[in-house]
Amino acid sequence: MTAVETTDAAVPVRNSSPAPRRAVAGGARRRRGSAFDRLLPYLLLAPAVLGILWLIGFPVVSVVVTSFRKLDLGELVRGEIVWVGLDNYTKVLSDPRFWEITVRTVVFTAAVVAASVVVGLAIALLMRQLSTPIRILLQVCMLLAWAMPIIASTTVYQWIFDQQYGILNKILVKLGFDFAGYSWFSTGTATLSVIGLLIVWQAIPFLAFSLYAGVIGVPADLYEAAGIDGATAWQTFRAVTWPELKPLLMMVTFLSLLWDFKVFTQIWVFKEGGPSGGSTTLPVLQYLEGISQSHFGVAAAVSVLMVVILTLLTVTYLRKLLQTQEGKL
Amino acid sequence: MNAKKVSANVVAVLIAAFFAFPTYWMVTTALKPKKDLLSSDFDLIPSSVTNSNFVTAWTKPGFLQSLGNSLLVSLSAVVAALVIGLLAALALSRMRFRGRKGFVMLMLVAQMAPFEALLIPMFLMMRDLGLYEQLSSLVLIYFAVTLPFCAWTLRGFVNGIPIELEEAAMVDGCGRWGAFRRVTLPLLGPGLVATSVFAFITAWNEFLFAKVMVRAEDKETLPVWLSGFQSAFGTDWGGAMAASALFTVPVLVFFLIVQRKMVTGVTAGAVKG
Repeated sequence: MTAVETTDAAVPVRNSSPAPRRAVAGGARRRRGSAFDRLLPYLLLAPAVLGILWLIGFPVVSVVVTSFRKLDLGELVRGEIVWVGLDNYTKVLSDPRFWEITVRTVVFTAAVVAASVVVGLAIALLMRQLSTPIRILLQVCMLLAWAMPIIASTTVYQWIFDQQYGILNKILVKLGFDFAGYSWFSTGTATLSVIGLLIVWQAIPFLAFSLYAGVIGVPADLYEAAGIDGATAWQTFRAVTWPELKPLLMMVTFLSLLWDFKVFTQIWVFKEGGPSGGSTTLPVLQYLEGISQSHFGVAAAVSVLMVVILTLLTVTYLRKLLQTQEGKL
Repeated sequence: MNAKKVSANVVAVLIAAFFAFPTYWMVTTALKPKKDLLSSDFDLIPSSVTNSNFVTAWTKPGFLQSLGNSLLVSLSAVVAALVIGLLAALALSRMRFRGRKGFVMLMLVAQMAPFEALLIPMFLMMRDLGLYEQLSSLVLIYFAVTLPFCAWTLRGFVNGIPIELEEAAMVDGCGRWGAFRRVTLPLLGPGLVATSVFAFITAWNEFLFAKVMVRAEDKETLPVWLSGFQSAFGTDWGGAMAASALFTVPVLVFFLIVQRKMVTGVTAGAVKG
C-alpha cells in the first residue's frame, strides 16, 4: 500500500474530543439512546473486524499451522493431515540455497531502499531550489513514473533493456561503446541490478513528494537564522533540515523496507528468478516451493521465516512506532 | 538567476527526463509501425506513426476480457473496503468505547502485515471455500488487503474534521445521521477520493494472487494477461507497449483527477511525520 502512515499524521490527532452528545435528550429517550450509543461503535466496527479476522487473522494462524504439516499435492487431494513437527523448518534451514537466497534478498532490499531514500531526499532538497515551472515539470514527470502500473513499467523496462533492439544498447553503441547485442540478464546479479533500478525509479516519486513536503514544512526562520549565522549549505542541512526531517525519513525508510522486501512481480516477470535461480529472492522461493511444486508445508515454513526476517530488519523502528501510536491514543 | 540556481534547474530537467523516458518510450514504441521496431537503426524519435499496434492490442483475444475482469475485481474490492473502512474509521475516530485502543492497533498492525506471506494459506482457504478459479477469491483478497489501509487512513481524515462542526449541526437540529451526512461527509470527500485511489491502484497492480488464484484464461486480470505478452505477442513489442499504455490510462486518469487532493493528503501528513 502507499502513503500509509503519512496520511494518518496528515491531520492533527484530536483524540481528546468527546463523542458527540445529544443536545437535547429526554429521560426515556436518553436511556434508549445511550444503550444504542454504547453498542453503536461495535456495530460500526463489526464488519471491518470480522473481515480482518477472517481474511487476515485466520490465514496468519493457518500459515503457522501449515508449516508444521507435510502438505504436498497428495495430502491436499486426499485431505490428509500429517504432522511433521519442525521437519519443514529443518529442511529449509539446512538447505544452503535458502541462506544464499536470504542473504541475496536482504542485500537487494537494503540496496534498493538505501538508493531510493537517498535519491528521494536529494530530489526533495533539490525541488526547493527550483523555479516554479521546472519544479512542476519534475513533479509531473515523477507522477508519470508513479502512476505506471507495475506490469506496464516492467514490460517497458524489458523492452528498453532488450538485447537486440533495446534502445539502451542502441544509445550506448551510438556513444561509441561496444554494447551491440549485449545481454543485461546474463547473471542473477546483473538481472537484479536492472530490476533494482526499475524499483528505485518507481519508488522515488512517493519518497520525493513526501520528503519535499517535509522540507517545505521546516520553518523558514530557521533557515534565515542559519543564514545570518553564516552557516554553509552542509551545516544548514545538518543543523536545520536533518533534525526536522529525521522522523519522516525514518518513517519512509521503514515503509520502503516493508514494500521492497516482498517484491515479487518485477522479479518474476523479468526472468522468473533466473538465470539458473540467480535472481531468486524469498518471495519467489515461496512461490516456487508452494505453487510451482505444490510443497505447501515447506512453502509455509518459508513464509514464516520471511516474516521473521522482515521483523528482525524492522524491529527497532516497529517497536518505536507501536509505542508512539499507543501513546497517541 | 545565479549560476547555482541555473545548474539546479538543469539537473532537475535531466532528472525529469529520466522519470519521463519510459513513458515516452512506451507511447512512441506503441505508435511505431512494425517494421521500424525490429530494426537496428537508432530511432529515439519516431519517423512515422500508426495506430495499428493499438488495434492489435485491443483486438487481441483476452485483452478486453481481462480489462473487464480487472475493473470488476478492483472496483468491487475497493468499494467494499471503502464503505466498511469508513464505518470503522467513524467509530475509531469519533466514539469512546471500551477496547478502542486495541481496535486501532489492530488496524495499524493489519495494514503493515506483509500480505504476500499469506499466499499459501490464502490459496488453501480459497480452495476449501470453493472459490479457487473464481474471480470472487480475488475480490475477497483485495478487499482484505485494502480494508485496514482504508480504515486507518480514513480515521486520520475524520480526525482532521473538527467535531465542533458536527456538534453545531446537532444544536441546529440535525440528528446524528443528519450531522454526519450534511457536515462530515462532504468535508471527507477529498479524503475518500485519495484513499480510494490508493486502494484502487493497489488492487489494479496486484499480480501474485491474481496469478495463483485464477488460471483460466477468461478469468485472468490484466496484469497476468500482460505478463504473458511474450507468448501472446511473440516479439511484438509494439503491441506489448500499446497494451501497457492502455493499462496505464485508467490509473493516469485517476491520478490526474485527484492529483492535487492526493498530494495535499500525503504532504500534510509528511509535515508531522
